Amino acid sequence: MSRAAKTFIKGVKVSERHGAGEWTAERASSLILVPLTLWGLWSGFTLSGAGYDAVLDWFRSPVNAGLLAVTLLVSLWHMQMGLKVIVDDYIHKPGSRSAILGLIGLFCILLAAAGVFLIVRLALGSAPMPAGFGI
Amino acid sequence: MSTSTLPGAAPTDSTVDLSGRPVVQPNGRVRPLSPHLQVWRWHVTMAASILNRLTGAALSVGAVLIFVWLMALAFGPDAYAIFTDWMGSPLGLLIWFGLTVALCLHFAGGVRHLIWDSARGLSIKVADALSWASIIGGVLIAVGFWVLLFASGRVAL
Repeated sequence: MSRAAKTFIKGVKVSERHGAGEWTAERASSLILVPLTLWGLWSGFTLSGAGYDAVLDWFRSPVNAGLLAVTLLVSLWHMQMGLKVIVDDYIHKPGSRSAILGLIGLFCILLAAAGVFLIVRLALGSAPMPAGFGI
Repeated sequence: MSTSTLPGAAPTDSTVDLSGRPVVQPNGRVRPLSPHLQVWRWHVTMAASILNRLTGAALSVGAVLIFVWLMALAFGPDAYAIFTDWMGSPLGLLIWFGLTVALCLHFAGGVRHLIWDSARGLSIKVADALSWASIIGGVLIAVGFWVLLFASGRVAL
């Protein structure tokens, strides 16, 4: 690998591992989330107190469903990075740290996959899923 | 600003560091303090930073609740009625109010960090002002949001 050649760029030391990439990714996700958060607040306002049918109508709009899916995915990406920073700061045993980070990653991926699945179902107007929920 | 030649050498003015705060260590050298809460002098930039991390962690709960909302919707009207009954209860509203405050604080704090990351607003005065603005602004947006929710009749106790 040409790592030696890339250690310095214009006299500035380049991160040896993945620090710079994580830093950039955190800022990129923050920037994307700025407009999405404002949209999310507005959507939360319109959907508060709305009935089941009104919320389903909201989901039928591809713009709403699409923006919600993007918001969910970017938020979970941002959340995974944020929780990783906290774990990196406070969990010092390498084994425990790797285990916790693995669980967080798995949790975020599951939430993302299942969340998009549910959003697509709602956007397509699929029939309610079988089996009661809390009944 | 500093004329020190060696990294880690004390600035010529031995009572302040680059941030302008007096941090003379017991051995007489000027060093930045490590951020242990027990010894760190309270400052609004510190409070805002801690608040940003706390609210970010709290919003993980919000992500789970949004997912539960999607589940309730997908399971049909009966399940959704149970969900809205829970979330419309005083405790449920309190949780969502807390999450709104966390979201608005984290949002304002995130914008503040983006400003700092673009190398702007880093002087002590401006950094303090931005910290206060993000805290006060975040709370104001969240409270305004809920005032509007109640005033428009979308939510009621």
